Amino acid sequence: MTTMLSSAYAFAVTLAGEAAEQPSSGWFGNLWNALKDDFVNNFITQKRYMYLLKGLGITFEVTFFAALLGIFLGVIVALVRSSHDKLAEEMRPGFLKGLLGFFNFLANLYLTIIRGTPVVVQLMIAYFIIFATSNNKVLVAILAFGINSGAYVAEIIRSGIMSIDVGQFEAGRSLGFGYIATMVHIIIPQAIKNVLPALANEFIVLIKETSVSGYVGLQDLTKGGDIIRSRTYSAFMPLIAVALIYLVIVIFFSKLVTLLERRLRNSER
Amino acid sequence: MSAEKGEVIISVKDLKKHYGGGDIKALDGITTDIHKGEVVVVIGPSGSGKSTFLRSLNLLERPTSGTISFHGTDITSKATDINKLRQKMGMVFQHFNLFPHLTIMKNMTLGPTKLLGLSKAEAEKKAQALLERVGLGDRANSYPSQLSGGQKQRIAIVRALAMDPEVMLFDEPTSALDPEMVGEVLEVMKQLAKAGMTMVCVTHEMGFAREVGTRVIFMDCGRIIEENTPEQIFTNPQNERLVSFLQKVL
Repeated sequence: MTTMLSSAYAFAVTLAGEAAEQPSSGWFGNLWNALKDDFVNNFITQKRYMYLLKGLGITFEVTFFAALLGIFLGVIVALVRSSHDKLAEEMRPGFLKGLLGFFNFLANLYLTIIRGTPVVVQLMIAYFIIFATSNNKVLVAILAFGINSGAYVAEIIRSGIMSIDVGQFEAGRSLGFGYIATMVHIIIPQAIKNVLPALANEFIVLIKETSVSGYVGLQDLTKGGDIIRSRTYSAFMPLIAVALIYLVIVIFFSKLVTLLERRLRNSER
Repeated sequence: MSAEKGEVIISVKDLKKHYGGGDIKALDGITTDIHKGEVVVVIGPSGSGKSTFLRSLNLLERPTSGTISFHGTDITSKATDINKLRQKMGMVFQHFNLFPHLTIMKNMTLGPTKLLGLSKAEAEKKAQALLERVGLGDRANSYPSQLSGGQKQRIAIVRALAMDPEVMLFDEPTSALDPEMVGEVLEVMKQLAKAGMTMVCVTHEMGFAREVGTRVIFMDCGRIIEENTPEQIFTNPQNERLVSFLQKVL
């Protein structure tokens, strides 16, 4: 315990230089004062905490709507891909088959491009090229992250659809449900449930991925911390604070998912 | 065969199903009629094509050639709304295929509410009555995973019945059951036959075939080898393949 505290002390000393110069009033008091000063300077002075608070709001806004867009795109792409895999062989040649083939091609192109390039690059292309005329950074970020997330969600949901026993599909069809109705009422609900942990993980990844929003000048949580750092020339407090906030959010959502999973499991037993 | 026969419900003509570019002939020219009120039992060694034949009747298996008519409508035709026709052909599977994410009640009302346009209350009333009929009236709010195999299969049967089908197709309904549960499922099927339901049943239960069947079809290598009344099939088999098959299973 003592060694841990003293190493923390040494760490703080190197970060907050002044503290090291007054060792007379006890090491703990010095550390405390140094951290307090640093805290006040970084967060309280000029209401700098507002950078984090507003940034957090932007991070939530972007993540939430990007996740919605991602699930929407993901379900559609997953449906196109799995329908093509399932149906193409037995479909009669004709307009519908050609259409499905075309959409499948588009879906594959989308997956290849999105999963083959870094999200930061996609974000910058979206902001500086595709939507160069738009000044709505939040909307561009939502679109960029949503389109990016959709590609990963698509593959997660497709694996979920593939994991459902073919008997479920046949049971739906034998009752008289069409292909799409069977998917909607019988296959998708089970598929989503099976991949819920993976989907939640994708959501958590997305929260963290939005931290590159600063590349297009969007003041999200990370950028907020970075702005404080540039004002106070002190990196420790703002960056650790930003990291802690992400950590708390991620732990919160992980717990939520665990609860949800347990409830879904209980409903079957 | 029974003297008086109802109208033809399903008529199968020269049905063929080939896999792998014609190398494997799962069905090699099946022709038969299913009449109203008949209980047709299809028997045969495994790989004889009996399941493929049954699954072709509601087009879960798409035949390579030949025609299947339902009340005179060619169901293999592109113009036919197969989803509408499937509502009239209930199907029961070897592995039950209940929807695990829905309660028994939801399993049974999904089709009637979404496809037949019944209100939730109507569908539930009907489902409850059907559940009582098979002795599972108290399981409406259970999930499939809470039921035994025999119970699941009885639910699967009434789920199909909830759609008011004209004919019921059974694909080895007791093959996945523990021996002590076979009886309860066969009992339900017997009741159903007595009530006049038209049934086509692929099974290995010779006792059921003998007792409940009005006609037995013996298949081998994708062909109908012999078809006759159960009495004739079991006491006076003609074809040597049927003779050797019966020797093995009886």
